[in-house]
Amino acid sequence: MSKEKDTYLARSEKRTLFRFSALYALLSVVIISGFSFMYYDSQKELTLQEKKAALQGHSKKLLQELKELHVNFDKNRTYPRDEEFESAIYDSDKKLIFSTTPTPLRVDKILYLEDGMIHLVSIPESYYLGSKYVIVKMKDDGVWLQETKKELAIFILVAFSFMLSVGYVLSRLFLKPMRDAIHLLDRFIKDTTHELNTPVSTIVANIEMIDKNSLEPTLLKKINRIDVGAKTISNIYQDLTYIALGNKIVTRDENLDVLRVAQERAEYFKSLADAKKVSLRVESFGESTLYMDKGKFSKLLDNLISNAIKYNKINGSIAISVKAKEIIVSDTGIGIAPQNISKLKDRYSRFNDSSGGFGLGLNIVASIAKEYSLKVETSSKEKEWTKVSVSW
Amino acid sequence: MDEGERVMVIKIALTAFLACASLNAGVYETSCVSCHNKLPVSLDKYFYRYLLKHSSEKDVKAAMFGYLKNPLKENSVMAEAFISRFGVKKKSELSDEELKEALDRYWEVYKVFGKLK
Repeated sequence: MSKEKDTYLARSEKRTLFRFSALYALLSVVIISGFSFMYYDSQKELTLQEKKAALQGHSKKLLQELKELHVNFDKNRTYPRDEEFESAIYDSDKKLIFSTTPTPLRVDKILYLEDGMIHLVSIPESYYLGSKYVIVKMKDDGVWLQETKKELAIFILVAFSFMLSVGYVLSRLFLKPMRDAIHLLDRFIKDTTHELNTPVSTIVANIEMIDKNSLEPTLLKKINRIDVGAKTISNIYQDLTYIALGNKIVTRDENLDVLRVAQERAEYFKSLADAKKVSLRVESFGESTLYMDKGKFSKLLDNLISNAIKYNKINGSIAISVKAKEIIVSDTGIGIAPQNISKLKDRYSRFNDSSGGFGLGLNIVASIAKEYSLKVETSSKEKEWTKVSVSW
Repeated sequence: MDEGERVMVIKIALTAFLACASLNAGVYETSCVSCHNKLPVSLDKYFYRYLLKHSSEKDVKAAMFGYLKNPLKENSVMAEAFISRFGVKKKSELSDEELKEALDRYWEVYKVFGKLK
């Protein structure tokens, strides 16, 4: 089993990872966008500078013609035009004197690109015909833009891949302490369960072999106590084995008689319930079958019954109700606070320290339920009752 | 009506017409054009010198107003050779309002706006 499969990320850890990823993604987008914009801007500036010389030539020519027009304005009033460029003249109040184009132009910048046209604004030494601002504009062929777009697409792709790789390495580094801690706990459980296997099996098997009818009442009482203790250990052992071995357990699905399995498990837990003076009953509301592995269904039920006993009150009761498509385990126990119900399925979460346990039970229930698409619903009233329904 | 009477009527009519025309003429025509017409440099030359240096309507009018109120060699837009030959004009005796009115008319006559094609 790989380390990754062993490692379980709880909701809080997933949230931390999500926040880290979101922050990292946001920063990556900001950095990549920043660089892209800077590159685009520099390419645009480069193009403008390249075209500037040509525009300056056009501007000089226009100024010469404006000078002639100014001198001969009483004879000639035709504004000079050129096929290669458009032009406009504005006075010192930025009021348009004449333009060869209907679009209003800006005079607050010297060299700029707007609407696919490159503009150059010149301020001549003498204001021929009152023109303080002489604007010449020519069409931008857009070749640089196509080239820049291509280069930017490649840059964004490469940069994003790089940031993704760095992010992946960082997140692994970031999660390593958490993974190590969880892995250590899982490893400890695995080792412990291995060492518990033989003695627990020996105790349980030997108690079952004792003929209890032939025993004296005092000895029977002691044997029953050992039985309860051994079954408790056996239960914990099975939980730990399930968690440690996970997907490696061989399953054999079959049509189960749910009522029969419920009765078997109730019988198994009878001694534990008796020890806590808790009554345990199985109620049937009709025939019920479920196609599932018997071992896993028993494990699911064991955990629900075990919890119902563990968190019950002295002289309390437990009812296992079997319906056509549902089984409900309800108890008259200490209940669960509303804010804790959603956290029940988290591994190692326990909300009551008065009873023993590792907080694995409902995590196992959730994992088995997920495997067989069973719906688990928990309702509770604190200090009064808890009801866990498993439906299919 | 004999010949003598006919001439008299025509003279009276002509005098009346000229009097009316004189009454309708603005301050620009009476105080600017009338004198400049007698000079060898036409009025439009001054206008385009101002335009060349001051560009907008507001700036041109302000510069002309300043010069006419206080004509100095240093204030003039004309070339030094022109000043040497013709000298600096006398200070305007028109009131500010009259001067502004004359300048508005002067601008309207020679402005470039709307004249280019």
